[in-house]
Amino acid sequence: MKENYSYVGHSVDRNDSYGKTTGHAQYVADLKFPGMLYGKLIRSTIAHGRIKSIDTSEAEKLDGVVAVITAKDVPSMKYGLSPARFDENIFCIDKVRYHGDKIGAVCAIDEETCYKALKLIKVEYEELEPVLTWQDAVKEGAPQIFDEYPGNVNTEIHHHFGDVDEALKDAYYVRTDKFQGQRAYHAFIENHCAAAYWEADKAFLYTTTQSVHYDQYHIARVLGMKMGNLTVRAVNVGAGFGGKLDTCGTEFAAIILAKLTGRPVKVWFDHYETFLNGHGRHPMTMTLTTGVDKKGKIVAHKFDCVLEGGAYTGLGIASSYYAGSLLGILYPIENYKFDCQRIVTTLPPCGAQRGHGQPQPRFAFESHIDLVGEAIGVDPIDMRLINARKGNSITTAGYEVKSYNLLAANRMARDASGWTEKRGKMGPGRGIGVGNGGFVTGAGFCQYRTDYPHSVGMVKVFDDGTRAYVYSNAIDIGQGSSTVLMQMAAEAMGYPYEQCQMVTGDTDLSTLDFGAYASRQTLMAGWAVTRAGAEVKKKILAKACEMLKASGRVKEGFGYLDGPLTTEDLECKDGIVYIKQEPAVKLTFEEVARKYFVDHGALVGRGWYHPGKLGGNHKGAAVGTSPAYSSATQVAEVKVDMETGEIECVDTWDVHDSGTIINPKLFHGQVHGAFYMGIGETIWEEVKFDPKTGALLNGNFAEYRLPTALDMPPVESLTLDESYEPNGPYGCKEVGEGATTPTMGAVANAIYDAIGISMTELPITYEKVWRALKEKKENGK
Amino acid sequence: MYLPDFEYYAPESVAEACQLLAQFGEKAKVLAGGTDMVVKMKNELLAPEVVVSVKNLEQLKKVEYVAGKGVSVGALCTHNDLVKSDVLKEKFASVANAARQMANNQVRNRGTIAGNIVSAVPSADLPPVLIALNATAKLVGAKGERTLAMEDVFAGPGKTVLANDEVLTEIFIPEQKMTGSNYIKFGLRKSGALAVVGVAVAVQVENGVIKDARVALGAVAATPVRAKKTEEFLKGKKVTDDVLAEAGVIASGECKPISDIRASAEYRTDLVRIFTKRALRKAVDEGHV
Repeated sequence: MKENYSYVGHSVDRNDSYGKTTGHAQYVADLKFPGMLYGKLIRSTIAHGRIKSIDTSEAEKLDGVVAVITAKDVPSMKYGLSPARFDENIFCIDKVRYHGDKIGAVCAIDEETCYKALKLIKVEYEELEPVLTWQDAVKEGAPQIFDEYPGNVNTEIHHHFGDVDEALKDAYYVRTDKFQGQRAYHAFIENHCAAAYWEADKAFLYTTTQSVHYDQYHIARVLGMKMGNLTVRAVNVGAGFGGKLDTCGTEFAAIILAKLTGRPVKVWFDHYETFLNGHGRHPMTMTLTTGVDKKGKIVAHKFDCVLEGGAYTGLGIASSYYAGSLLGILYPIENYKFDCQRIVTTLPPCGAQRGHGQPQPRFAFESHIDLVGEAIGVDPIDMRLINARKGNSITTAGYEVKSYNLLAANRMARDASGWTEKRGKMGPGRGIGVGNGGFVTGAGFCQYRTDYPHSVGMVKVFDDGTRAYVYSNAIDIGQGSSTVLMQMAAEAMGYPYEQCQMVTGDTDLSTLDFGAYASRQTLMAGWAVTRAGAEVKKKILAKACEMLKASGRVKEGFGYLDGPLTTEDLECKDGIVYIKQEPAVKLTFEEVARKYFVDHGALVGRGWYHPGKLGGNHKGAAVGTSPAYSSATQVAEVKVDMETGEIECVDTWDVHDSGTIINPKLFHGQVHGAFYMGIGETIWEEVKFDPKTGALLNGNFAEYRLPTALDMPPVESLTLDESYEPNGPYGCKEVGEGATTPTMGAVANAIYDAIGISMTELPITYEKVWRALKEKKENGK
Repeated sequence: MYLPDFEYYAPESVAEACQLLAQFGEKAKVLAGGTDMVVKMKNELLAPEVVVSVKNLEQLKKVEYVAGKGVSVGALCTHNDLVKSDVLKEKFASVANAARQMANNQVRNRGTIAGNIVSAVPSADLPPVLIALNATAKLVGAKGERTLAMEDVFAGPGKTVLANDEVLTEIFIPEQKMTGSNYIKFGLRKSGALAVVGVAVAVQVENGVIKDARVALGAVAATPVRAKKTEEFLKGKKVTDDVLAEAGVIASGECKPISDIRASAEYRTDLVRIFTKRALRKAVDEGHV
């Protein structure tokens, strides 16, 4: 199935490596326009309250201040992800719902003046009681945060398949465990920033985004503009991890202020504000009940989950569905019950973060299933081998799964890590653990209702054939999507990768793609540009055929042709068109392309992709559908200081069932980075708020502790030769998010092996381990 | 996130610096590496009207061995100057090692010893080991100079006994009878973390008996503190695991930590027990490390 490709499967250099290593690469914050002004958001200084008055007069008088805007100056249209939960305004109209909520914006001649102006804004509030935990939010008589969410319940999901209660009655062993996740933050290094200007009735917006299309759609809708009147552009993006998929306020403010002042305006966040904007991982409170038969086969599973959402819904609705929809992909479970609530509180909103709603449920399940296995005497990896899905199957919820190699991934991880010799045998303070994961390769549905293709691609060859422009609004947020898309387009065209150039991040100039989320671009945009490249190749072969015939170099009966030369006899690879049976008879791609241009004008190929109708019929079935699912097994080995609780992860193995690997170097980079994020959330990272006021306490990289290079273990990233996905171009499927989903479980299970105590609350800090060890000792257990 | 307005001076001599400080009094602040002060100014926690930069005082940037007396460390040495100092590596590697555990490489390249001490952050990494080694601090003011024991420099979180016109010019680590010393920093990750607990010890061991001991604790009280009961307990004892463990227990009773965003008081107290024991073992077995 795997062919000998020129570019696919090769670790070609990234297209952006020169700019990013020399510092020449421009980010939105680097952009400057003549006469540009600066803007900054006015933020709430309380967690919950009614706005009584806003006095901007002192700020307006300050030298250098050009404009101050609040809710009265902007459209009042609400926004969000799904129309049923459009609950956020550009600026708060009557209420503020978190410490840092958006009240307005100042605009001045420089950054410093903006900060000074902010201090002169006076907002008078009628303070309301803050609601800072979901437990407080659902109490009888708790303050109501939104009129539209009675009892502060933002959403409820009840997915019931089979008969869980009946199956549990008959199970050989049943166990219930509780787990708690924490609020985590994406920690991308490039802060949010937007710069806008107008030309007549058309607005141009540069923004730090994962999707120019969704920004264009949502912003145009809220501002009452035609999409065609709003150009959205992305330049280099300093990562996103899900945090740059929602609007954050910079875009609205920049566009509106630019209109008002008639000058370009840049609105930026510092790190504290980017932390404050949040939209990261939901803390989840999870209760899992599993029944198994004597061998360890799961007969029923019940998952109760509460997501603490913070204020507003945004992508949180999708996070909620993702919390429960993917378990059935990994492990076929006939009787499955998922009950979920998302509760609003007066903290910054939570949203999508690498793996979306899935990583914490993965942590809970992978920890829980080890405890189930231990109770019935089954080794953790055997538990997974007994229960893992096989490929070409349909899930209980009705999702079709093509390639799926979770069994092979577990076996390879077991053998590579020396599992059998190590598990339970390394003594106190040493442990090894396993976790499984995986993800969708693109969501089956658009964020909003549309019949658009999910991705449209185009290739245009330059007039003389010396360059090929690959068009796609798939956004390269650092993961290297532009590189892999050009590899696939070049392969399809038979043209040198090095002569390709990406045209991306521009809703005017490039072609539709929904953007960087749900690990979708390599497959979806990959299909679009591969098909576009194939169309170019078809035109090249036809023109080459015509040229060869006219040249008199090819004659019928020459020995290697049975009849007249047709395109079937030709191949094009690496920029050379040749006769398959006689490769010495050839033309260069460049000369053929030039001739095409002379005869017909622009040489263009087009392609598009739509996943078609996917998935089950239950309410919410859309979240979890995908044309392809990755799977993954990770094994982590840890050392724990049995006195201090300090954890050191010493070695790790990852086997990712990712189909054909388009670019091995980028692939391994994704695995490495995904593990890094996963272990960070397992041991160190947590966003903290003042328990009385709801003010953010650690909005900086000193106190929001990401692991450092010294904390990061080596990661042995392995792949499976047999992994090939028929629904993906060249057989590929995802890696970016799936590789972060097994990590928390794998590391937590290794800690369990080391200390003999199940740590059920993230992050598993040194102090928590110390306390657990101390309590165990004191209780004499 | 911008610097407030201030007047700026960069004197060429210590005398000139003292004069400026005497002239402006409480309005002035000394700027050395700036890794703490500039951040505080940007975060509006500090707004001095006058900033006196000591960056031109080249004579304060040296580490020198004074034969028979000890090691002189210029107050404007950066942490990495200490890390790389051959003199320290040979005489008091424990000081160089403490400097290496500070913050991250960028901060170690810029942040100075004077800043680490005068900022008087309770979790600072250098004071405990300097106290354990009985180091002194030389303060120069407009009217003269004085030398204090390192432990007497601190008055509270962010507070020292320095007068408005005084600058810290030199740290002096005397020749030791102590046979070993060690500092253990415990942070919540391996780099770029403030100490949750820092324990420094120095011991004089002869024929397996502890003749003298000094124990200093960081991050567990308003200032770096000596654990004097622990020191007394150790004197004259034979080195055994039990004795070192008991010393840890006594030390944990001598600290007064707070609970904060990084750790609870209870955890810190137990960490003092653990690391006092471990630091003593290292100093006994491995010398000045």
